[in-house]
Amino acid sequence: MLFQLFTLYRRRMRLLAGSRRELVVPLVTPVLFAVIIAPALKKALGSFNPRVDYMTFVAIATVALLVPLNSMFAGISVFTDRTYGALRELLAAPVPRWLVPLGNVLATLTIAALQVIVLVVAAVLRGATLHTSVTGVLWFAGAAMLLAAAIAGVAEMLAFRLASQEEYVGLTPAIAIVPWFFAGSLFPISVLPAGLADVARVLPWTHALALMRYGLVGGSNSGLQAIWGNHPQTGLALASLAVVVGFTVALLTVAMQVFRRSALQ
Amino acid sequence: MSTETTATVIRGPGAPRGGGIRVRDLHKTYAGGVEALRGVSFDVRPGEAFGLLGPNGAGKTTIIGILTTTVRPTSGEVIVGGFNVAREALAARRASGIVFQDSVLDAPLSGRANLMLHARLWGMPRDRARRRSAELIEAMGLAQLIDRPVRSYSGGQRRRLEIARAVMGSPHVLFLDEPTVGLDPTIRYELWSMLRDLRAGQEMTMVLTTHYLDEAERLCDRIAIMHEGRIVAMDTPDRLLASLGEEVLEVEANGASGTVTKLLAEAGIPTDGAFEIGSLLTLPLRDGQGDLASRRLREAALPLRSVALRRPTLDDVYLRLTGVKLASSH
Repeated sequence: MLFQLFTLYRRRMRLLAGSRRELVVPLVTPVLFAVIIAPALKKALGSFNPRVDYMTFVAIATVALLVPLNSMFAGISVFTDRTYGALRELLAAPVPRWLVPLGNVLATLTIAALQVIVLVVAAVLRGATLHTSVTGVLWFAGAAMLLAAAIAGVAEMLAFRLASQEEYVGLTPAIAIVPWFFAGSLFPISVLPAGLADVARVLPWTHALALMRYGLVGGSNSGLQAIWGNHPQTGLALASLAVVVGFTVALLTVAMQVFRRSALQ
Repeated sequence: MSTETTATVIRGPGAPRGGGIRVRDLHKTYAGGVEALRGVSFDVRPGEAFGLLGPNGAGKTTIIGILTTTVRPTSGEVIVGGFNVAREALAARRASGIVFQDSVLDAPLSGRANLMLHARLWGMPRDRARRRSAELIEAMGLAQLIDRPVRSYSGGQRRRLEIARAVMGSPHVLFLDEPTVGLDPTIRYELWSMLRDLRAGQEMTMVLTTHYLDEAERLCDRIAIMHEGRIVAMDTPDRLLASLGEEVLEVEANGASGTVTKLLAEAGIPTDGAFEIGSLLTLPLRDGQGDLASRRLREAALPLRSVALRRPTLDDVYLRLTGVKLASSH
């Protein structure tokens, strides 16, 4: 089963890596935010907290924009499989069917990881300041990859359920972009109106982004206390990790169920 | 390469004797209430070439889908290569190879990558997959283009690659869903030749769906004729045609079919097998009665648009059983 999963993963990697659209397009907006908009905002507005480098604050947030965009773009190739027939070959193959979306998700994570590295390097070169360690990088990477996997699960579900690619593309901003604006990306969630702040606290994006900041800049600037209140950071990080893990596992499980039911007539 | 050598290559080393198929009371109703199959039952012997012949919408592709576990049946039992497709789906899929009606190749990847992908999904070790793909590339005449992206292949080249892909794992059962649809006659004949090579050793069971009469006659040991989700006849091509006699009389009767049949009956020609669609009357004939029938109609000088004597076709068999011409439904 493992080598069949690897075969499916390799297939998806070759198809994704061969498409410039799917490699480059998801990077454009986050890189724009990280290297142009974030520094410009910092220059124009200063920072909401003298201890927070605003450019770094926003630059890390662009990762939480990149990974859902990448996941949603990767889902377009599932439409290609459906439309041009390759899905039938996969369904007729002697592999457990749940391996098919899992192989796709693993390939999406690989591409996301490479793109995140590009984005972070671009942000650092532009002037973002990171205070991190090996453990911090692991927190950051874990949160980014969990968010990528969760949205990849959503992408798989939609790609198997929706009738057309146009509908799917139409939903991409709602899934990949809108939550980002409420997740503490450009400003702390504590400055949102009360009701919206509560919504932001339950959004997995908010928890993932807070974990990423916790990993790369640490201290009290991660946003974890804005979510959970004034408690030791490590405990808050574990709590947010549980939220993100739960969200990801639930979505991936549902995605595999949806695939099993929808793929067959 | 000789036919026997090609057959050996395509069959693969140590390939087991083809698996049989058993289908019992198969029903399929799609969402929206479309009843695609209404109680289909048939057996395919190991090593047999079995054809499902019928127009679009008859249920052929649905049957292939169920046999290959890509479509869920509403009810019924299906055994492929000794495995129940409902309870042992993985094993049934492992025993099968499929050439789908539409291409399932990954167009951006090379032909070789497509072959290796299939081999690895079917559980072949890498070294064996490489050797097997090399043999099939040679046998199918794909060597010149195997490392190019599939999107650059012609229709016939893609179809040859699809066949190579389907037999990579030396399957017990090979399913072909309309394998030559949309291809020009030269390519069709070429593919038929390749498929006959596959059958040369008679160790691979083949199930073929088609709406081409000549394809069914040339490739299949037995044919099931399908109409609106049911099998209406099932036998060897020769016996199906023999049910219509040695030749058929085709008359454009212009409303005079009653007069025609009465005239021929009076001449001692049995007319109980006659069937009429629109203004076209078709009468199966035996014992060399064609000349007698033609002469009587000429002598009677009836106002007929045309009279023709010809060999029966599977289209005539289909027409008699269903009231619809198979060839006109496309």
